[in-house]
Amino acid sequence: MTAALHAQATCLHCSLPVPAGRRSAFCCAGCEVVHDAIAGYGLDQYYALRDAAAPAPAQTTAYDYAELGDPAFQRLHVRTDPDGTAHTALYLEDLRCTACVWLVESAPRCLAGVTEVRVDLGRSRADVAWDPAATSLPVIARYLDRIGHPVHPYRGLARDALRRREDRSLLIKLGVAGAAAGNLMLLAIALYAGLFGGMSRADTGFFRWASMAVALPALGFAATPFFRTAFGALRARRLHLDLPLSIGILAGLVWGTANVIRGVGEIYFDSLAMLVFLLLAARWIVLRYQRRASTAAELLLSLTPSRAHRIAAGSGQPGDPASDVAIDVPIEALVPGDLVRVLVGEVIPVDGDVVTGISAIDAGLLTGESQPVEVAPGARVHAGTVNVAAPLAIRATAVGFVTRVGRLVAGIEALSTKAPIERLVDRIAGRFVAVVSSIAVLTLFGWSLTSVAAGAEHAMALLIVTCPCALALATPLAVTVALGRAARRGVLIKGADALERLATPGTLFIDKTGTLTAGKLAVVTWRGDLDAAGLASAAEAGSSHPIARALRAHASPSGSARDVREELGRGISAIAGGHSVLVGSPPWVRRRSRTYPVIEGWIAELVERGETPIAVAVDGAMVAVAGLADPIRDDAARALGALGRLGWVVHLLSGDDERVVRRVGAALGIPWSRCHGQVSPEDKALAVVAARAEGTVVMVGDGVNDAAAMAAASASIAVSGAAEIAIEAADVYLRSPSISEVAATAAGAQATLATIRRNLRFSLAYNLVAGALAVTGLIHPLIAAAVMPVSSLTVLASSLRSKAFRERARPEQAQEHV
Amino acid sequence: MTILYLILPLALVFAGAAVAAFAWTVRSGQLDDVETPPRRILFDDERAEAARPPGSFAGDAQSPRPQR
Repeated sequence: MTAALHAQATCLHCSLPVPAGRRSAFCCAGCEVVHDAIAGYGLDQYYALRDAAAPAPAQTTAYDYAELGDPAFQRLHVRTDPDGTAHTALYLEDLRCTACVWLVESAPRCLAGVTEVRVDLGRSRADVAWDPAATSLPVIARYLDRIGHPVHPYRGLARDALRRREDRSLLIKLGVAGAAAGNLMLLAIALYAGLFGGMSRADTGFFRWASMAVALPALGFAATPFFRTAFGALRARRLHLDLPLSIGILAGLVWGTANVIRGVGEIYFDSLAMLVFLLLAARWIVLRYQRRASTAAELLLSLTPSRAHRIAAGSGQPGDPASDVAIDVPIEALVPGDLVRVLVGEVIPVDGDVVTGISAIDAGLLTGESQPVEVAPGARVHAGTVNVAAPLAIRATAVGFVTRVGRLVAGIEALSTKAPIERLVDRIAGRFVAVVSSIAVLTLFGWSLTSVAAGAEHAMALLIVTCPCALALATPLAVTVALGRAARRGVLIKGADALERLATPGTLFIDKTGTLTAGKLAVVTWRGDLDAAGLASAAEAGSSHPIARALRAHASPSGSARDVREELGRGISAIAGGHSVLVGSPPWVRRRSRTYPVIEGWIAELVERGETPIAVAVDGAMVAVAGLADPIRDDAARALGALGRLGWVVHLLSGDDERVVRRVGAALGIPWSRCHGQVSPEDKALAVVAARAEGTVVMVGDGVNDAAAMAAASASIAVSGAAEIAIEAADVYLRSPSISEVAATAAGAQATLATIRRNLRFSLAYNLVAGALAVTGLIHPLIAAAVMPVSSLTVLASSLRSKAFRERARPEQAQEHV
Repeated sequence: MTILYLILPLALVFAGAAVAAFAWTVRSGQLDDVETPPRRILFDDERAEAARPPGSFAGDAQSPRPQR
């Protein structure tokens, strides 16, 4: 009974089950810390407010956020009011529910000096105001961290302000158009009723004047975005869908005004207002979806580390973690000549020379090389690479934009030759304008044979009723549905253009690292004594080298090791399980033990296959060889098959060793001629430019080395874990770094284009019918008022039925958090 | 029906006032974030007094190794 109760115990903080054997009311230490902090501040109401759903263990980092107090950071991100109050925006992790909002906004009650905290849940953002004399930003950040919301500086505030202005202006126009449409419809109903029931001429005239008084100012204001684009397109001698729209709206307003003044003839103000309202609504929805996708991408940028540990001058032996004093500063504060400490697993923030420490550097993001490179004092290291083995002290030679990464990034702007594609609807719009205006002229002259007034009446009616409202809605609605569904499964698409480019199959370049492979070294082959795997694992137990991690993942250690001696870049020796064990590169092990022809054969075989051989010797004799490589993802072959069926030609384009690339290609059935290894970032971009001559080129990448190629491609896809610059260069960002999501994105883009085409057919059919009625003089404003909304609704229904991104993502992908 | 000549302009003035009010709400930023404010109304003010007085934050002394 007790056992059963115990098994059901749930964490007091997050409601997840408490692991068996843990003698605590909490599932983890993080939850306990956060719960204590919340209770300690008297904020227990949090637990009453909280949604029962969405449990997740608390996150708290105990990080000190010293860099947020640095003058360089304050200058960039903190705004000070005349009265001395400081403001900044922070990005908070784990903001999920009402209770989180309450907890964070309660900060002024618990923290002296904090004036106000306002949370924006949709953007995971908090605006903080505080009195710099009473408290400081690092203190506030530590507080927020302790209550379970780790903090990151929110970048892109300037962009935010610009967008907000744009959003507000469009929203006001939408409101004005909506109000006008509603009121005009009421007036129109009175007029139609009068038409059938009889109404005095004076009353009719009054209603017509009232309609005009509402329509002219309201539509003149609300439709300005269309007029402006149409005018701009005319001046640039381009075709744009806003041109026929503007012609229809203007013709309606002018003709309606003329008829009101004349006192005879039809007015179309109500239909026009409804049309403008629907068009603005579609624009508003599309804008919201695009904002959401780009906000999500920007949050990822905010998550990338922005701090460095600068070693204070003259603080003892440089680089020795025990004696020197490192203070955290924002990267912006570093200057050449600074001494920087880089801990294991951290990204090197500067270009520079190693002063102390022997370690391995993973330059994968910069060069595409998947194997770590050993570095020793004197070696040159580059910003953007990852320190994987041991702490380093680095003397900065270049910082910021003059680092190799910075120069690569600058080069991207020059390569970004993405001309705005001529959209399908714009091409149709061009023909549409030509056809409709020539039919209008024919109508005018045809009817003029009987009466000039009738000719003008019918020609104007044609221009107005064929105003391509449904045509204008066809693309935005289909794209919005696709973007929304894609975002839900973790595919962030930055715009409609990207979808259109992805829909035409062409060449697909894949940077192998990270998309086709798991992205981590693993033991893929083991030759020889199986028991040696456990001994090797035991010997490597204390090392953080990637090879050691791979060996530990391969087999659980048999016994514990002592007398461990690690020679970086060579191997490790230890006494494990009562045996002397050597694990390391074959030449190093060979020098210290006996070898056999069969083992040398295995080593040669592994090298031939592009795997890294690691020899294991037990008691002075080599007994086994492990082949290490980046294993292929389970879903890669299936996804490549799906891409092939869609019509894509897949190439591997990697900075990795030629043999490694071919090994991956062979395992996935990609011909040798399409596997390119050891490609420099510059050559990648050239390959993309060359392939663009033959059609669509899509680049899938994750590293700084891919960014130039991604900018040069017709469309580019960045995958989860990608470098900041790659995310920025990409049109699509995948939250899960798997190739099957690339295939799903391509398929979704094609399905979206199919929906757009179907929508266009629907709306053109409507225009054909309405146009025919207008030409023959059978159109009536009542029919026009009915046909326009019905055509738009048909397009809406057709968009919602789209197959794009319909199938659900697998649960583990849906779970993945930003 | 002459009353229409008074009522209709009056109604349009009201409509204009509503549109102006809407424009004001947008310009003053009340519609920038439509997700968080509906949740704020759930907050209870009563427990506010129970919270500790400002200035009791003691977490400043402990800032272990910046391992992130």
